[in-house]
Amino acid sequence: MTINRRSVLKGMAAGGLALAGGPFANVRSAFAARDKELNILCWEGYNSAQVLDPFRKSTGATVKAESLTNDPTMINRLRAGETNVWDLINVNNPWARKIMYPEKLIKPLPRETFEPYFDKMLPQFKAPYKWAMDDSGKELLGMCQRFGPYSFVVNTDKISRKTAEEVGWDLFNDPKLAGRYGILESDDWNVFGLFVVAGIDPFKTHTPDEMAKFEETAKRVFKGAKLIGDIAAMNQALISGEIDLHLTGGTYSVSPARADGYPQMRGITPLKGPMAGGKGGIAWIEVTSLVNNPQLSPLAETFLKYVQQPEVAHTVAFAEGTYNPVAQMGNPACFKLFSKTELEAIQWDSLDEEMARSVAYDIVPDYDQALDLMTAAKRVRG
Amino acid sequence: MSTALIDPTLNNTPLPAVPAATPLGARFAAAWAAAGTRCALPVVVLLAAGFLAPLVAIFAYSFAPPRSFEVFRAFTFANYAELFSLENTVWLSFAWSIGFALLTCAVLAVVAYPIAYGMVFLFGRWSSLVSVLFVFPLFVSENVRLYGWVLFFIKNGVLDGSLKWLGLGGAPTVLYTPGVILAGMVYTYLPFMLFPLTLGLSMVPRDLIDAARDLGANRFQIWREVEVPLAMPGILIGMLLTFVLAIGAVSEAKILGGQSVIVISHDIEIAFTYAQNWPLGSALAVLVTAFIGALTLAVFAKLDLDRLLGRR
Repeated sequence: MTINRRSVLKGMAAGGLALAGGPFANVRSAFAARDKELNILCWEGYNSAQVLDPFRKSTGATVKAESLTNDPTMINRLRAGETNVWDLINVNNPWARKIMYPEKLIKPLPRETFEPYFDKMLPQFKAPYKWAMDDSGKELLGMCQRFGPYSFVVNTDKISRKTAEEVGWDLFNDPKLAGRYGILESDDWNVFGLFVVAGIDPFKTHTPDEMAKFEETAKRVFKGAKLIGDIAAMNQALISGEIDLHLTGGTYSVSPARADGYPQMRGITPLKGPMAGGKGGIAWIEVTSLVNNPQLSPLAETFLKYVQQPEVAHTVAFAEGTYNPVAQMGNPACFKLFSKTELEAIQWDSLDEEMARSVAYDIVPDYDQALDLMTAAKRVRG
Repeated sequence: MSTALIDPTLNNTPLPAVPAATPLGARFAAAWAAAGTRCALPVVVLLAAGFLAPLVAIFAYSFAPPRSFEVFRAFTFANYAELFSLENTVWLSFAWSIGFALLTCAVLAVVAYPIAYGMVFLFGRWSSLVSVLFVFPLFVSENVRLYGWVLFFIKNGVLDGSLKWLGLGGAPTVLYTPGVILAGMVYTYLPFMLFPLTLGLSMVPRDLIDAARDLGANRFQIWREVEVPLAMPGILIGMLLTFVLAIGAVSEAKILGGQSVIVISHDIEIAFTYAQNWPLGSALAVLVTAFIGALTLAVFAKLDLDRLLGRR
């Protein structure tokens, strides 16, 4: 081929289209077989080298994983047209059945292949597991792995576990504790937490009076917070003694501190609360689904099977960042891989009772309004 | 002006012919034919794709319906109306950011001036070492440095622990306050004020200072009448650079300040993440960009850089 101005311009135009992605992504995919490529959109952990490198080695594939720390952002990436890019999406429980499947952002898994894995999981995940299924109960929408209770964290040297569980969310209504607590920067969960502190079930449509109470609570709780920060900042502040407790937290956030030799820091699930059935805690369960990608990589299903293996499930539980229980601990071959220290880090001793006292994370129907009120409350705290 | 200063050969040089007016198409074709234009094409494409396209996208998103992704398909002023509505408290974040940026500039001007003066007039051969010492922290990520300060100031941390060990009681509480945010910003942006200031001061001829002194000016008069006016380009560029960077700062308020205040960049971040209100975040970003752009243009309108830098 002779290189002249016309051929260079044609090449540049093709390059521009490939770079543009989005609506032009099909141009690229039409030329690329994807049997050696896998793209994962996930919470941190699945993007770690410990989890991905053995898979890369065994399949010879190029695996890219991007980690984000909130569900809405990930889902909107798919809505914005990135279903052409990703093969797997790993988000919390309500999104698959309530949002992503109805909006055709994900596609079902073959039940006959994947349902047997649920039989080896912890008892509460036995098939058909609600959050892995669609509304009709016919389609399997994803696989479960990490989960955990997630309400608040205390330093039990300062506030005993018993007191924290009994007083529950009212700790944050106690004026004596103003200036002694932090708030984890996890705004969606903080919306849940503030509703509960206000004595209101978060997972329903709220009346104007309830919203007014939420706003008052948000202003007061943010005003009384010593700091707002990420997980590292919360654990650092707990260990140094700057704070005695923090709102929004649990095994996921406090396990790194516990694993580092601070077992007095503990995720607390209150004994009672305003949620359905008088439950006092909120828990999350991750569901990993196949993205409705027109050129879905065949490796997506292979990866879902790979992470079910006992050794890999253990690696996922203790991947970099945070440490969490995994549903595969129901399989003795997986459970025996956990050392005593690791079980202590993930509060295995109280996991069952805490999960029993928790409702599953759900979508707040008027989340946008509540978040706006909460953001405004944050602004006036300075 | 003396004619002796004019190159005599210039008198014999014929004046360049004024080009006749040519049609636009012909001029474009001529420009296209120029090798320079064609060589610059990759850079133009890169700038258009990497710099202009995101700005256009943000601008377009700011007119999309709130909480939607209908960019280029729908048009509304709702996001701007929301930002300017009386109930909206986003002005507080603006005020904090502008306040912090102004104070950072003011404090840095006072702090950096003596250092710059020393580097230009006093430190001699040591001045390059001092420069390296100020540049060195830039090689370490800002967040890592700020977390280092947290470990220094935190309860039972380096400062508090050391004071307790020495039997001097604990350190005062400074973390998670607006004061420590300002301190963090001054620390982070010091090099961005220091080096333009050093450049500005290095443009002050030593002879002028000596002449002013010989003519009886005292130290204050020399500073006010000679140094500051001649170093003004450096001072203004340093202030502008610091202000523009500081108004977008967010790490100091988050890491050192424990979000005791919410700055404007943080508000934009919330809109793009937890709120998933890209149009509102874009409108906010456009307002901040417009504010900074207007300020920069206003400063440069007053400031003729070429004249100040002595190029004409």
